[in-house]
Amino acid sequence: MGEFFQTYFDFSIMGDNFNAVLEGFWWTIKLSLIGGAFALAWGLILSVIRQLPGKALAPVRWLAIAYIDCLRGIPMLLTLLLIYGGLGTLQSTGTIPEWLGIPEFFGWPSSFWYGVMALTLTYGAYMAEVYRAGIESIPRGQMEAARSLGMSHGQAMRFVIVPQAIRRVIPPLLNDYIALMKDTSLVSVISLAEVVHVGQDVYSTTFNPSALTLGAIMFLIVTLPLARLVDWQIKRQDEKFQRGLA
Amino acid sequence: MSDETVSLSEDVARGETILKVSNLKKSYGKLEVLRDIDLDIKKGEVICVLGPSGSGKSTMLRCLNLLESPTGGTIELKGDIVFDGTKPKNLDDLRRETGMVFQSFNLFPNMSAKENVSIAQVRVRGRKKADADKRSIEQLTKVGLAEKVDEYPDRLSGGQQQRVAIARALAMDPEVMLFDEVTSALDPELVKGVLDVMRELADSGMTMICVTHEIGFAKEVADRVIFMDGGYIVEQGPPKDVLDAPREERTKKFLGLVLDH
Repeated sequence: MGEFFQTYFDFSIMGDNFNAVLEGFWWTIKLSLIGGAFALAWGLILSVIRQLPGKALAPVRWLAIAYIDCLRGIPMLLTLLLIYGGLGTLQSTGTIPEWLGIPEFFGWPSSFWYGVMALTLTYGAYMAEVYRAGIESIPRGQMEAARSLGMSHGQAMRFVIVPQAIRRVIPPLLNDYIALMKDTSLVSVISLAEVVHVGQDVYSTTFNPSALTLGAIMFLIVTLPLARLVDWQIKRQDEKFQRGLA
Repeated sequence: MSDETVSLSEDVARGETILKVSNLKKSYGKLEVLRDIDLDIKKGEVICVLGPSGSGKSTMLRCLNLLESPTGGTIELKGDIVFDGTKPKNLDDLRRETGMVFQSFNLFPNMSAKENVSIAQVRVRGRKKADADKRSIEQLTKVGLAEKVDEYPDRLSGGQQQRVAIARALAMDPEVMLFDEVTSALDPELVKGVLDVMRELADSGMTMICVTHEIGFAKEVADRVIFMDGGYIVEQGPPKDVLDAPREERTKKFLGLVLDH
């Protein structure tokens, strides 16, 4: 038992590397905040495209559906490696501009921005489905009532449908956000010094995983309250639903 | 959009045609729901539409304000075409002049009774929030809900919700009110309160088209009863003719089934 504890919870290693791990976790937070924000916006755009009305726009809808299905069907690690392996090359041959090929906004490394791209592309697809489910969960009668009162489709969406849908999509969006946050660790494979990468560096010199344990604890400090928040939100909605309100 | 620009054309006098439906057709794929409906609705008239389920009566009502798009025929509102056989024209005018009440109430669950009645006044009619709220309270008082203006729909009974829905439609000052089986989802003891409101509305001269199973209400309030079956208007006329002395076999059979239980 003592050996187990020594292996995973070596406090001297944790203490020595605390600042480095925390710095790595800061990249994790930045990745999840920026990638998450882009994914939220991109997902909304995709879901709107997917629900554009009319026959003429059918090809655009199909494109959106194909995109959503494909990106949900590819492991994010693979998407990330494809971005990382391709953009630099395309930039060097002049096919795409340098800011896209080797992005270094704010002086942050391009591996960070490749990570943001992969998170946005992948989680945008997931979140698009969440938005769609939220809007489709509002009974048809709500749109009909709004239209019969003379509101346009846009007004009905804005004043009647979306305000009701938002409450319903918050818990599943938060769930996706937790998953997104954990998947930021994949960006370690293209050598961004985020928390997992730092932990592994420490491991390779000390042959002790305690720095990784420290990283896990940092994740939990953020994800556990989020998970509770999701549960609380769902419970609140169930109560409302039972009263016929949600 | 303000109150001054509401009317598409001159107001029609009582007894003149307000809605004119010609050769109205509606099908879903191969299924023909409305085959050939001709109907003149006069201002101030109260029409009750009866018929077995699947006869097309609700679909007809929903075509009148173009919640369903007909597949053929024309609809005129006060002499102006609002549906020309293929697509809607002046849809906003039509929707503004027709109020609709649904079987399932369809109140907005995230708004209080007052907000339910106010929102379209503000967003569609362009009324000021304070004016709209004042109007909403008046309208809710008229349907007997003065004490409930700040309640949310989940705190109201079905009958109360339906009366809010009626108030919500009336606050838009429609020319015609469409009622789609508005008492069918209600517990029996709550039906009367809603029918009383509709009766009063009819007495006040509102033009009304009611799809209903309430034969007693039709007998008492309707100026004209329409019996539909299989997507056609089978028979129409004053209630004493259609309900007490129907000419068509199908009407007789239906009324026999409805009244015998």
